[in-house]
Amino acid sequence: MDLNRQKLLEAYEMMKTIREFEDRVHVEFATGEISGFVHLYAGEEASAAGVCLQLDDRDKIASTHRGHGHCIAKGVEVKGMMAEIYGKQIGTCRGKGGSMHIADLDKGMMGANGIVGGGPPLICGAGLAAKTLGTGGVAVAFVGDGGSNQGTTLESLNLATIWNLPCIFVVENNGYAETTPSKWSVSLSGNAVDRAAGFGMPGVVLDGHDFFAVYETAGEAVDRARNGGGPTLIECKLNRYYGHFEGDTQTYRGPDEVKKVREAKDCLALFSEKVTRDGTISGADLQEIDDRVMQLIEDSVVEAKAAPKPPAADLLTDVYVSY
Amino acid sequence: MTTIGILANPAAARDVRRLIARASSISIAERCAIVQRALTGLGAVGIDRVLMMFDRGGIVSGLERAIEHHRRDVPLRWPELEILEMPVTGEARDTLKAVQLMRRKDAKVIMVLGGDGTHRLVAHECGTIPLVCISTGTNNVFPEFQESTVAGIAAGAVAKGLVDRNEVCRQNKRLGIRVNGQPQIGALIDICITSDNWIGSRAVWRTENLRELYLTFAEPDAIGLSSIGGLLKPVGREAEEGLVIELGPCDTSRQKLEVPIAPGLIEPVGINGVRRLMMEEPGRIRSRSGTVALDGEREIEFAKNDTVEIVLERDGPLTVDVSKVMKKLATKGRLS
Amino acid sequence: MARTITFKEAIHEALDQEMARDETVIMMGEDIVGGLHADGEDDAWGGVLGITKGLYAKYGDRLLDTPISESAFIGAAVGAATCGLRPVAELMFIDFMGVCFDQIFNQAAKFRYMFGGKAETPVVIRTMVGAGFRAAAQHSQGLYPVFTHIPGLKVVLPSTPYDAKGLLIQSIRDNDPVIFCEHKLLYSIEGDVPEESYAIPFGEANFVREGDDVTVVALGGMVHVAGEAAEKLAGDGIQCEIIDPRTTSPLDEDSIIESVEKTGRLVVVDESSPRCGMAADIASLVATQAFDSLKGPIQNVTPPHTPVPFCDELEDLYIPDAAQVETAVRRVAAGG
Repeated sequence: MDLNRQKLLEAYEMMKTIREFEDRVHVEFATGEISGFVHLYAGEEASAAGVCLQLDDRDKIASTHRGHGHCIAKGVEVKGMMAEIYGKQIGTCRGKGGSMHIADLDKGMMGANGIVGGGPPLICGAGLAAKTLGTGGVAVAFVGDGGSNQGTTLESLNLATIWNLPCIFVVENNGYAETTPSKWSVSLSGNAVDRAAGFGMPGVVLDGHDFFAVYETAGEAVDRARNGGGPTLIECKLNRYYGHFEGDTQTYRGPDEVKKVREAKDCLALFSEKVTRDGTISGADLQEIDDRVMQLIEDSVVEAKAAPKPPAADLLTDVYVSY
Repeated sequence: MTTIGILANPAAARDVRRLIARASSISIAERCAIVQRALTGLGAVGIDRVLMMFDRGGIVSGLERAIEHHRRDVPLRWPELEILEMPVTGEARDTLKAVQLMRRKDAKVIMVLGGDGTHRLVAHECGTIPLVCISTGTNNVFPEFQESTVAGIAAGAVAKGLVDRNEVCRQNKRLGIRVNGQPQIGALIDICITSDNWIGSRAVWRTENLRELYLTFAEPDAIGLSSIGGLLKPVGREAEEGLVIELGPCDTSRQKLEVPIAPGLIEPVGINGVRRLMMEEPGRIRSRSGTVALDGEREIEFAKNDTVEIVLERDGPLTVDVSKVMKKLATKGRLS
Repeated sequence: MARTITFKEAIHEALDQEMARDETVIMMGEDIVGGLHADGEDDAWGGVLGITKGLYAKYGDRLLDTPISESAFIGAAVGAATCGLRPVAELMFIDFMGVCFDQIFNQAAKFRYMFGGKAETPVVIRTMVGAGFRAAAQHSQGLYPVFTHIPGLKVVLPSTPYDAKGLLIQSIRDNDPVIFCEHKLLYSIEGDVPEESYAIPFGEANFVREGDDVTVVALGGMVHVAGEAAEKLAGDGIQCEIIDPRTTSPLDEDSIIESVEKTGRLVVVDESSPRCGMAADIASLVATQAFDSLKGPIQNVTPPHTPVPFCDELEDLYIPDAAQVETAVRRVAAGG
């Protein structure tokens, strides 16, 4: 694994940024200043970071309702994202997309998606474009366990296989589609990965809390896709720290379920412990990143709050390129 | 009442090897079916009770559904299924705990469905309970592919005393390991020191990173790390010795050997030395940092301040030779 | 230089010329090559009605046969459009939008707005519409108002070979998602079409016939029905002005309003369902923006609010005919 010191620090900063972003949105949402629906990614950071650190500018990703982590991992600017969540003109989407639709095509981020299972067909298209235009790009669809049950996802697994597309489907199985447990709702006893065999596609399941496992596996899948080897399905078993959306009381979860996961499987804690053990990275190095990230998130919130909403005229713009 | 334990690993055979080398995968549905066929075999020789642990992978829940249907549709000849009461974490420690409970509940035989890794964990806790080993992994050397119906009959026959277990069981070797003086769960086939810094996706396939390999046995027709030894200097499962191989990158090593390092993957390895590993011979690894792979899975990361010691031992698990059991049953006419 | 060709040939020619002009134009759909991966002829069908036949020989892999999997391939066309291609996807019948609508109306249509103006999605979805083929309720609908309802989509409904070619070329060059609706009864009609490439801008209605007495707005196949009625009415001294909007989104509102301001009378003839359909939409437009010009009530000629029946006699009753148009025109002409 090509993880030098710099790459490790980058991975930590990425995961930490996602965590602080989500923790802060959680706090700010509770004040009532953020409207609409937000779905937080805290707890799942190793998946987005492990996959996206294997990608480059040629590559595309499509995301889910729970898209903030994927956006940050693919390089979407954090301040713009925060402003977008506040519905401000300086937001990534000029305040017209909101949390569920943050996208930045220049960064290869084809959008969080308000439709469960909306992304995989688009990613087949992105893969087809990369293949047709010979860019060498790879396209990654993130879906949840809920999205893994959508016909769009299953159709896309088939299409990507028969067209031999450079696509990777990452099922982030956090145990629940809203309130419905994946062990019940996903056939094969909750193992979306077992569906890969039905499409003749390699399927790999891994501990989605373990950055190193995700990073290494994603690297193999990306290499395979880039070299014309075709699509892969990766299932990351992981947990979300917050509810389906902010305001979800989560009474469907077991007592202390989240507490136990936070104690035993926190991806940031596992990562920090590993990288500091042999002394290549020190606690002070990580603290420096923590401070920088905290400042970035603080600035993002301050700037987002202070920024103006889009003008009334923006209601009518950008429906069409020309009409 | 005769009790059997069944330990079925829900996680085996779905790791990164599917991706790098198109290794086989066995779905949870198929694992459930394997257990059901084993239950049929066990029921046929009159086993009363089967102990299993609950798993989050879905084997037991699938099984419970099957039992419900089975009861409705056909006369039940399966043993009672008892799910062990224990917390389930989804981690390796579940397996250790389950085997402890099986011992306490007087399991006469444990059937193991899994790969080398699963067998390694079971072997750590099973004591003198014989194991019936069924491979559901892909990169396996220790267990063999075995139809579970027949394996169930054989397991039941040993448990019921229909055959003399001393005549049908093999005493296996194992490799003990200590890190900084602390004993760890050992290995049944191989311990490999690699230059990887991270455990990552666990599997070992980048041959340029291999540094030292310790083997309990090495067969030329094996798949995986032990094939290196098998192709250099075969050692039998019952021989009073093992093997140590010094490895390195091909371009700087004395000898180059192409080996089937994983299913679908034949890669060159650099060999710098091969020697016999004597029983109970104490030894310390040479590498200063890297990972330790136990039976083909990276498990321990170590750095320059850590000491890693490895020793070959006799007291591995007892394993049932299914073929021998069935021959004895046939001679005795016990299944007629 | 113009020559007489069919509507179907005009569409083929537009696709051919655009694929030759721009390498980023690709096509995908069910059987658009037809038989490509089977044992017989490669280009066996060229689409269910043979419209794309022959293009595979010229453009090879830029034509992709798809599985019957509309969500995946329509979505793939949409995704590819955001990544530098100009896909023309064929949705065999517009009725099949039911299995892939999300990718059209929640994804393609909304990207540009939701993403703050950054996205361009130059995708064309060609699809067959309309009744008259005895194809019954699930293969005969005129669902273009459903797409017209969605901001972000453009909807094209050509009525002549000339328009079909020019509008399809414009659709492919356009940077927004376009639903291109081909009425299945029109494929065999003939008309003068220039050999060279040309594009007809969207939102510019065609004045099919000029007249001072009654404005008749007719769409798609209904343009010809209206023409037939107008011919007859002219004999009785009633001069109809027939306007074919050609695109329902954008809609050339100015032309319709200007004409009504001249005639003071409006009949809308459309084959889509009456509720929330094009006739209701255009009637509403005129009522809200040119009410003072109207000399009497607007008349809409549409099918009844029912599914399309199979039986030939019932289907003929379903589809608006020239007699109904004539009656409607006489009624409005008599008013005021």
